[in-house]
Order: sequence, then structure tokens, then C-alpha cells
Amino acid sequence: MPDCASIDPFITPYVDGDIGVSERRLVDDHVRVCAPCHSRVTAERAVHELMRTQRTALACDTASAGLRDRCAALRYAAARGAAGAASAHAWRTRLVPLAVAAGAVLVAGAASMYVLTERSTKLLAAELTADHVKCFGMSSVLPVNADPESAERTMASTFGWHMPLADAAAGAGMELLGARVCLYGRGLAAHLMYRRNGQPVSVFMIPKASRAQAVVDVMGHEATIWSTGGRTFVLVAREPEDRAEAAADLTRMTAVVQAALH
Amino acid sequence: MRTDGPKATGPSRDPTFEAEALAFLDSLYRTALRLTRVPADAEDLVQETYLKAFRSADRFQAGTNLRAWLFTILHNTALNRVRDRARDAVTAGSETVDRAEDSTGVWPGSGQGETPETLLLRDTLAPDLQAAVEALPDAFRQAVWLRDVEEFSYAEIAQMLAIPIGTVMSRISRGRRLLFDRLQHLRPVNA
Repeated sequence: MPDCASIDPFITPYVDGDIGVSERRLVDDHVRVCAPCHSRVTAERAVHELMRTQRTALACDTASAGLRDRCAALRYAAARGAAGAASAHAWRTRLVPLAVAAGAVLVAGAASMYVLTERSTKLLAAELTADHVKCFGMSSVLPVNADPESAERTMASTFGWHMPLADAAAGAGMELLGARVCLYGRGLAAHLMYRRNGQPVSVFMIPKASRAQAVVDVMGHEATIWSTGGRTFVLVAREPEDRAEAAADLTRMTAVVQAALH
Repeated sequence: MRTDGPKATGPSRDPTFEAEALAFLDSLYRTALRLTRVPADAEDLVQETYLKAFRSADRFQAGTNLRAWLFTILHNTALNRVRDRARDAVTAGSETVDRAEDSTGVWPGSGQGETPETLLLRDTLAPDLQAAVEALPDAFRQAVWLRDVEEFSYAEIAQMLAIPIGTVMSRISRGRRLLFDRLQHLRPVNA
């Protein structure tokens, strides 16, 4: 007769009915004469049966519609990334030089950025400025939700960010050109594309991220970073000639963002 | 004993990969919720899982177990997050329960008349069971959940959690016995 230690590895498969005939017979014989092992089998079997009968109730949690939309967006973002890598040569003939340079920065630095963007404000500014240049430079080939309604739907479904984008922008003296979902670090960033005084301006929103306020000069642009409501925002535009006007822009955009969070 | 573990290497060009992967969203979310216990964290974990899966889709071998592959990514991602926070909840959970069991020597009696199995089935309400599962230490909750609710094989769970099959069985066994003990205490006195 095998002892308890020999039987031990077979107890759980025995309870689950996941055991061969000869092993089952061994366990049958043992638990008939061993009270502790009999009790163990009884307890495990009781819980196994209970979990099985109440499985439907236990597994009642379902993913939210927002999570579904965000994961579906990840699918398209990943597909776009793959397509971009495959057709880089074809793109080159259609891009403005600065956009190509920005794209190269993104591709070459992607591996290191993945980790470093979480740590370095300067790298965050550099990556998003490169995105700003790339997205405006390649707006003819990249998918952009150009109409306000479509942009608002994308922001709502992907980030749960409900706001009247066009109206809010108009109130800040800016024209909404479109919205994209960009890959950033380990997740996604909302990219709102505006025009102000004829110049492209980007506002990036990174969900569930906080950083200290900062202004970073990079690639001839100025990236202004601030966090509110558990999200980080980055305003990217050409380095301003008029500092007072730049400060006023920031104040307007901050007001737009604050309004969106309520 | 089932041994059909997933293979996570080899080329794949299946155009339906993403759609098939998204079909497991609810299942992944439920398990993420068991791992994190916080809905917002569970959503983050699932999103990161899908991002990784889509980015490395070419490493999935078509025809193998996509669900198990996704769950492996989910658990690895969760473990990395725990490590990032410098807390190894799995190891701590196992040791805690090992000590608890050794010190109390919990063994249910075999009883007379109605068996513990029938009493438990009769008296336990779903919310009580849910709460008892939630209260299990991480290592045992994961193992019991993956086996009894998600119905993965021992080999699949072993691959997901990167532990030997024997350890999987041991955790399932200990987890079930802890649940039994806790649910026994919840039963009405006169039951």
C-alpha cells in the first residue's frame, strides 16, 4: 500500500477526474483506509464542485465598452505600425523632409524610448514633438479623423474623453484640423491637431500619467507639459517669437482641457 | 492528465488573429480583475496585454492555443508590474499560506450523513464564494481560478505562471482546502 507522500501528487488530478485508471485505483485504495487523505479529497472535491456549479456567477464580470473600444483601437494602431514598417520606402517619396527626419527618430529610438519616456521629460517632449512633425507632415497618408464629430467620437471611445473639441478650440482661437490615436510608450496617446495663426499646434493627452510641469525646447519646437485630473497633457508648437502670446496660448489650452475634464 | 500547452513561437500570418484575440476580452478582464482586484488596474493590464499581443503577433504559431498564449502574456505583464513595484506578491502569498496551514493543521472531518460536499453545495451563496476566492492569497487564487473557472489544463497554467506542474497542482490543492475551510466557517450554525 503506497504511503501518503506517494499518493499526494495524484490527489488533485484524482479530484479533477484527470488521472489514469491505474493511478485512480491506487488513490481509491489509499483513501479508503487513510482518514487525512480521505478528508483532503472530500474538501477538494467539494470546492471543485462548488466552483463548477457557480462558475457562471463567478465569471459574471465583463469588460466595459470603453475597454473594448480601446483594445480594438490597439489592434488598428498595431496594424498601422506594421504597415508603416513594411511600406517605409513608398512613404519616403511622399513626405516632407522634416517629417522623414521625425519618423527616423521615432523608428530608431523606439526601443529605448519605450522605457525611457516614462522617466525622462526631455525624451517625452522629443517623442511627442517628433509625432507632431510626423503627423502634420504625413497627414495626407496617415489616417486622421478630420471632421470634428469623428474626432470627438474617437476621443470618447478610445479615452473616455468627452468634449466638444471644435467648439472648445474655437473658443481658444484655434482651428481643429483632426485627431489621431498615437502609440506612446506602453500605451496610447490622444493627438489633437490644431492650427493657430497659420501654424500647426498639437495637444497630446496621455491617460493615467502624471508629470511635473515643464517647458522643453526640442527640434525647433517648444513642448509644454502639465498634468491634471490624472492625465498628462503636452502642447507642442513652433518656438514662439512672442513669449507673452505663448503664455496666453497655454492659458487658453489649459482652460480648454480643464473644461473637458468636467 | 492534459498536457496541451501553448507554443508561443513560430511564424503566423493569420489575418483573423486580432479578431480572435479580442474574443477573449471578457475572460482576460475577469482574470485581470482577480489579479489586481481593482477595475481600473485590470483594464490597464488587459490593454497592455493586447498591445503586447498585437505587437508580437508574428510570434504566435497559428493553430496553437491562442487563449492560453494571451493568458500567459497577461500573467507575465502582471508579474512585471508587481516586480516594478518591488513587491513579489506571489511568493509572499505562498509562504503566508504555507505557514498558516502548518500552524493550524486544517483538515476537514469526513462527517456523518450529509457529506461536506453536499452541505457546501447546499449552503454556499455565490457572493460568499466570490468573497472567499477574493480573500485567498494571490498564488492560490490564481491557480484555483485558472483551473476551476477558466478551465485551463495543469500544463497551460504551469506555462502561464512559469512554475512546474507539480507546483500548480499543489497550489490548486491548497487553494481549494483554504476555500473549504473558510466556507465551512461561513455556514449557518444550524446547517
